[in-house]
Amino acid sequence: MDRTAGPVPIGTTVMMERTGETMEEMYVNMGPQHPSTHGVLRLMLKLDGEVITDCIPYIGYLHRCHEKIAENRSYPQIVPYTDRLDYLASMAMNFGYVLTVERLIGQKVPERAEYMRVILAELQRIASHLLWLGTFGLDLGNFTIFIYCFREREMVLDLFEAVSGQRLNYSFYRIGGMAMDFPDGWVDNCRAFLEWFKPRIPEYDALVTNNILFQKRLQGIGVLDAQAAVNWGLSGPMLRASGLTWDLRRNDPYSVYDRFDFAIPVFDSCDVWARFLVRRQEMLESVKIIEQALEQLPSGDVMAKMPKTLKPPVGQVYVRTESPRGELGFYLVSDGSPKPYRYKVRSPAFCNLSALPEMMKGCLVADTVAILGSVDIVLGEIDR
Amino acid sequence: MITFANLIERFYAATAAWGIPWLVPTLVVMGIVVGVIVAYIAVASMFMIWWERKISAHIQVRFGPMRVGGWHGWAQSIADGIKLLLKEDIIPARADKVVFVLAPMVVFAASLAGYVTIPWAPGLIVKDLNIGLLYMVAISSLTVVGIVMAGWSSNNKYATLGAMRSAAQAVSYEVPLVLSLLGPVMVAGTMSMGQLVEAQSGTWFGFLPRWFVFPQIVAFLVYFTCALAECNRLPFDIPEAESELVAGFHVEYSGMRFAIFFLAEYANMFTVAAIATTLFLGGWRGPWLQIPGLPSEVARGLFGLVWFQVKCYFLIFVMMWLRWTLNRLRVDQLMDFAWKVLLPIAFANLIITGLFVALWK
Amino acid sequence: MTIKLAIFYVLAAFSVWAAAVVVLGKNIVRAAVALIFTFCGMAALYVLLDAEFLAAVQVLIYVGGITILLLFAIMLTSRISSAAARVINDQVVLSTVAAAGLLVGLIYASTRGIAAMSGPPQLPETAPFLGRALLTTYALPFEVVSILLLAGMVGAIILARKE
Repeated sequence: MDRTAGPVPIGTTVMMERTGETMEEMYVNMGPQHPSTHGVLRLMLKLDGEVITDCIPYIGYLHRCHEKIAENRSYPQIVPYTDRLDYLASMAMNFGYVLTVERLIGQKVPERAEYMRVILAELQRIASHLLWLGTFGLDLGNFTIFIYCFREREMVLDLFEAVSGQRLNYSFYRIGGMAMDFPDGWVDNCRAFLEWFKPRIPEYDALVTNNILFQKRLQGIGVLDAQAAVNWGLSGPMLRASGLTWDLRRNDPYSVYDRFDFAIPVFDSCDVWARFLVRRQEMLESVKIIEQALEQLPSGDVMAKMPKTLKPPVGQVYVRTESPRGELGFYLVSDGSPKPYRYKVRSPAFCNLSALPEMMKGCLVADTVAILGSVDIVLGEIDR
Repeated sequence: MITFANLIERFYAATAAWGIPWLVPTLVVMGIVVGVIVAYIAVASMFMIWWERKISAHIQVRFGPMRVGGWHGWAQSIADGIKLLLKEDIIPARADKVVFVLAPMVVFAASLAGYVTIPWAPGLIVKDLNIGLLYMVAISSLTVVGIVMAGWSSNNKYATLGAMRSAAQAVSYEVPLVLSLLGPVMVAGTMSMGQLVEAQSGTWFGFLPRWFVFPQIVAFLVYFTCALAECNRLPFDIPEAESELVAGFHVEYSGMRFAIFFLAEYANMFTVAAIATTLFLGGWRGPWLQIPGLPSEVARGLFGLVWFQVKCYFLIFVMMWLRWTLNRLRVDQLMDFAWKVLLPIAFANLIITGLFVALWK
Repeated sequence: MTIKLAIFYVLAAFSVWAAAVVVLGKNIVRAAVALIFTFCGMAALYVLLDAEFLAAVQVLIYVGGITILLLFAIMLTSRISSAAARVINDQVVLSTVAAAGLLVGLIYASTRGIAAMSGPPQLPETAPFLGRALLTTYALPFEVVSILLLAGMVGAIILARKE
């Protein structure tokens, strides 16, 4: 990456006059307010005509001192803060965090709570991928897919509202189990949603996946081969789109994921099209997991007996889970007090975004939106 | 309708009898005709805007406007128009004022001038020029100039880039458009719009109307695709793309000036649909019945008027349907498609049609 | 003073005024826009001369093609904010003399020198006539012009291609 030109000071917008009379080499600024940067992200693109030679992302517009705040909160109090990390996959954030604390204190969680966690996490994966698909199509100009995806997402949000009272930041997981049990009839509603959802993917296929215009927009751009993907620390659908079969639910199983039979979609064209196909297939696999979990759902308590003040033993732990965006890791260092000594979040979107300049090189300006959309970023998680 | 021509002649004769110079009734008739056309454009555009919102809504499993005016929000466009009229007229500080103000006028004038040779009904054309089709194509190339003027005068880098992209797209797609139109022109042997409709009379095998869409289906598809590109509609709406990097050529326009661009876009849509209807779908031709009490020409004219509108709005419906189903093409893919796919196909169609015409006529 | 003559005077004055803006205007983009008006004025004059096909082609090619080209050239090579161009250059004396000489010659020719022509041929439609003429009587110049255009295109592509 050529940084010999020096960093561009934050706040400047460089116009054409700076680099000369022609439009040969210029800087174009995208964001932080832009319909397609999916949040407050600022991209500085260095163009040579229509081709991108360099791309400098500026982040930090949504930094809220999440990790420092956590040092002044007790462990259960941190749960609502994790919601706001990746606000589009709050259940997954909660899941990762409570697993970490439970690993730290060696807590066993009731069976019913484990199954509830998996069901809600997989529903959350579906909701997150639906939002991604809708906004992705919207960026490319297809307004209809956005409405269709949000129609299904509303149903998932209704399920979440029934169970937790919230549509977006649920704070539903607790250290040692779940906040409360499913309400009456929730399981039937969930099954009804799955039955409604399964024929929807073929409907999206008819609209976008099988549409040659859509395919031509996505194939062959944003290429990141397997070796580069590993070197850049990618994870999640981005890694699986580069041909590597790596899913933490299979390769490093947590909770009760080892009891379910599901496939890991892997495609090896390493481009935006492969990432699209991976996430699309993941939605179907999540449906399978939820169905199996609903069937195997045992009865019982949903919360283990926890002490009033949680004082973990001195030590450190790193636990990673598979969030919709990739490997979500929580690193906790405890010094025996009720508040963590150090709390760090390994955000998958942050690591995926760091590879963006590599992916953008050599692509046209018009592909910026497609490539950025394929990374599936959420600024809350990137900036913390 | 034939009676209109009689009315105009009697009007001229009456004014001549009263000693009024020949210029006055000419100007009066011209004024009335232009007024009718402008009124039609205004009403049709407002209807199309409402219709587009309804179509897009129903494709997207929602309702669209439902309240303004009562039944399915039919007055929504009128309300939007009034709102736009009341907005502050903002001209960017360092914009070129003259060109900025002139640009929407050029675009609208070009859209309006294209309505001169549209054959609404048998005998009902403002002026059946013998180069009618060429005239319409030439006038529609004026809108490109207006767009470039708008983009430049906004003093906005993104507007300029958007305007240039739009101009490149429009100029590129004009070539296969004109070539595809030449197919029916060769078969009919005339460029006059009225005579093109006349050339599509009769039926094959007793039931299939002799519309040019059947022998010239390739030309029709090429023309329709190019027409979408000329109107800057999805999948060719790079110049107006909201979510791409470049925001679009009319980004600095607000209020009534923006409304004029919008109106001109829909007027353009109607024009290209009218050309397609005239050349390929038989214009105002269609089954008609005698209305008791009216002479047969008038009845035929009324039915022709209705059939023309039906066919035009069907094509506009297809355009809107495509907009809400497909996604955008990338700029270089768009150019590739015009020059490497549509142009050879249009040429091939031209050559084959020429051979047929030479051998069988 | 017939109506046709009055319309001719209006159109001619309009075209000349627009041409004056093109030549003498300080803002280069306004000059390009005035060029559009000049071309449109010319097209209207062609219509007055019963050459309606030529008028339509004039609008289609000159306004719809060449002015777009000019505007592109202006936008791609000048800075966005400044659009002033030098109006008076070093050749102003020589060009004034040449233009004045041409004007005198044209006035002399139109009033006394050349015998008046019989008027344009009375054709119901000029397009078929032009088409047949181009492909039979004037086929050779037509093909030569096509080759010239091809040479121009090839030259432009070679010049504009980046290595």
